[in-house]
Amino acid sequence: MEGIIADVSELSSGDRVVYPNQGVCRITGRSTKDIAGQRLEFIEMAREEDGAVVMVPRGKVPSIGLRRVASGDQIEGVFHYLAAQYDDPELDWKIRHRDNADRLIAGGVLGVAEVVKGLHSLSRIRPLPTKEREQYDNARHLLVHEIAVSLGIEPALAEDYLDYALMPPAGTVFKLKPPPKPVVLPMRPRHKVVRTDAEDEALELGELGIPGLEDIPLAEGAAGEEEGEGTEAEKADGEEREEGAEEAVGAAEVEEAAQPPPARKKVALAPKARPEAARAAPVAAPAPARKPEPAKKLEPPKKPEAAKKLEPAKKPEPARKAEPAKKAAGTRVKKPEPKQEKKAAAKKVAARPEKKPAARKAAARKPSKPEKKPAARSARGKKK
Amino acid sequence: MIRIVTLEPYDPEDLAALSRTLYQAYGLGTEHAGSKPLPAEAESDDGRYDAAKILSEVEPIKTFADDKVLYLTSAPIRVKPGPLGEPPSWCYSIFGGDRAVLSTGRIPARGASESSIDAYRRRLARESIHAVGHLWELHHCYDPRCAMHPSWSPNLPENPEQNLCTFCRDKSERRIRMSKT
Repeated sequence: MEGIIADVSELSSGDRVVYPNQGVCRITGRSTKDIAGQRLEFIEMAREEDGAVVMVPRGKVPSIGLRRVASGDQIEGVFHYLAAQYDDPELDWKIRHRDNADRLIAGGVLGVAEVVKGLHSLSRIRPLPTKEREQYDNARHLLVHEIAVSLGIEPALAEDYLDYALMPPAGTVFKLKPPPKPVVLPMRPRHKVVRTDAEDEALELGELGIPGLEDIPLAEGAAGEEEGEGTEAEKADGEEREEGAEEAVGAAEVEEAAQPPPARKKVALAPKARPEAARAAPVAAPAPARKPEPAKKLEPPKKPEAAKKLEPAKKPEPARKAEPAKKAAGTRVKKPEPKQEKKAAAKKVAARPEKKPAARKAAARKPSKPEKKPAARSARGKKK
Repeated sequence: MIRIVTLEPYDPEDLAALSRTLYQAYGLGTEHAGSKPLPAEAESDDGRYDAAKILSEVEPIKTFADDKVLYLTSAPIRVKPGPLGEPPSWCYSIFGGDRAVLSTGRIPARGASESSIDAYRRRLARESIHAVGHLWELHHCYDPRCAMHPSWSPNLPENPEQNLCTFCRDKSERRIRMSKT
C-alpha cells in the first residue's frame, strides 16, 4: 500500500501520520521506558483531533499499518471513486462487517472510502443497524479528517465535498476519471458449504453436531405424529403422557445396555439414506450403528406408511411386531443384526406412547410389561 | 448556550421561533445576541461572500466556554471548490468549534402568507440545527428525515423535518454532556 511506513527511521518529529482506526497523528518525539524489565523505545505521537497521546513501540511500527497522510492525487482518486456508480453493497452482514473492519485497519484512505461508500449504498436499501451505523460514522469521521488534513481545509468543508460526491444535487454531472483499484483484502477461508439437494434433504438435527442432542427425548406427541397418530396424540390425556414417558425412559435404558454410546452418536450423525438403497442391501450393511428409534422419530416423510401400519388388527400379531424393525432398516443404511432386530422392534414398540385410553386400559390389564405394547395395539385394532 | 447573531435585520418573531426550535433540538439555552455588520472583506468578485472570511473577519461577541455562535446572513456564501467542484453549501461551520455562518439566501422566500412564513421558519430552523450540529461534531447523516442530512441532497423532502435522528441526537447529547463546564 502506498505511503505505508515500514521503517522507524522514516519518521521525524513533526511528521503527520495516519494511525489506522485512530486518525491523523503528529509525531511528537521518541522516548525510552522500562517496562517489565525491558528497555523499550517508543515513538510518541499526538492525535490531532483531541491531542490524545499514542505511544508505539519501535518494533511495532511496521506492523500496525502506520502510513503517511494521503496525497492530493490519492484524495482526488477517492473522490472519483465516491462519485462513481456503485450499487452492489455486500448483503451478508458477517462478511460485510469483517471486510469493513479489515479495510479500516489496512486499506488506507481508499479502504476507508470504500467502507463509507459501501455502507452509504446499503443505507439506501435499508437503515443500518446500530453497530454498522457507528462504523459508518467512524469511517466518515476518519475520512473527513484525512481529507481535511490533506487538502488543508475545515473538516466541515471536507464533509461537504464528500457528500457532494456521494449525493450530488439533481442534474449534476461529474467528469469522472477511472476510480483507483479497490483495496485487496487479506485472504480468509470462507466457510461456504455447497450442498446438493439430496444432502439438503438428508439434513438432520444430528448433523448440527450438538453433543447429546440424540439423547433428548422427543415429545411423545411428536413421535406419534411421525407415525401418523397426530390426531390421536391430541386426544391423549395427561396421564397417558406420563405413562408414555416412563415407557420411553425404560426403552432408552434397555437400548443403552444393548449398544455402546459412540455407535449411537455415529448413527445420529449419519445422513438419512434413501429407502430404496437401504432396502437393496439391508443385510450387507455393517452392524454397529443400530439405533432405529431416533432416526424414525426424526424422519418426516414416512407418514403414509406409518398410518397404514396403524390400521387395525387385520394383520397378524407377528407381522406387526416385525414391521417397526423393517421400517427402521428402511430409514437407515445400517441395519440391526438379525439377533437384535426383534429386540429393537420390541423396544420401538415399547417406546411408542399410548394414545387411546381404551388401548391403555387394555394394556394395563396385561401382566407382563414387555408384552404391553403389542397388546395395546391389538386392543386398539379391535376397537377400530 | 447558543447565541444567534444577525448580520442583517431579521424579523424578531422568526428569531424567537428559531430560538425555541434550537432549544428543543439541543436542550441548550438560545438567545439572539445582537446584530453585527457583514464584513466587507469577505466579499468576493462574484458578489458572494467567502464563508471562511466572514467567520474570521466578523466582529466578535462576548461568549463563554462552550458557547456556540450562529451568524445569520441573507447574502449568498461561497466556499473553496473541491476536487469535484464547489458544493452548494448553505452553511459553513468550524467543525467542533464555536462559530458557524448560515446563509438564508437559499431558503425559499419568506412571503406574506401564513403557510409560506411557516415554511420559511421551518427551513430556517432546520438549517440552523444543521449548522450548530457541526459545531457539536455531528457529521452528515444519510437519513433524509434528519436535520443533518445534506441540504442539497436530492432525497430531501419538500418540507424537511426540523429534528435530529436518534443517532445524531444521542451523539449530540453525549457531546454536550461531555463538554459542559
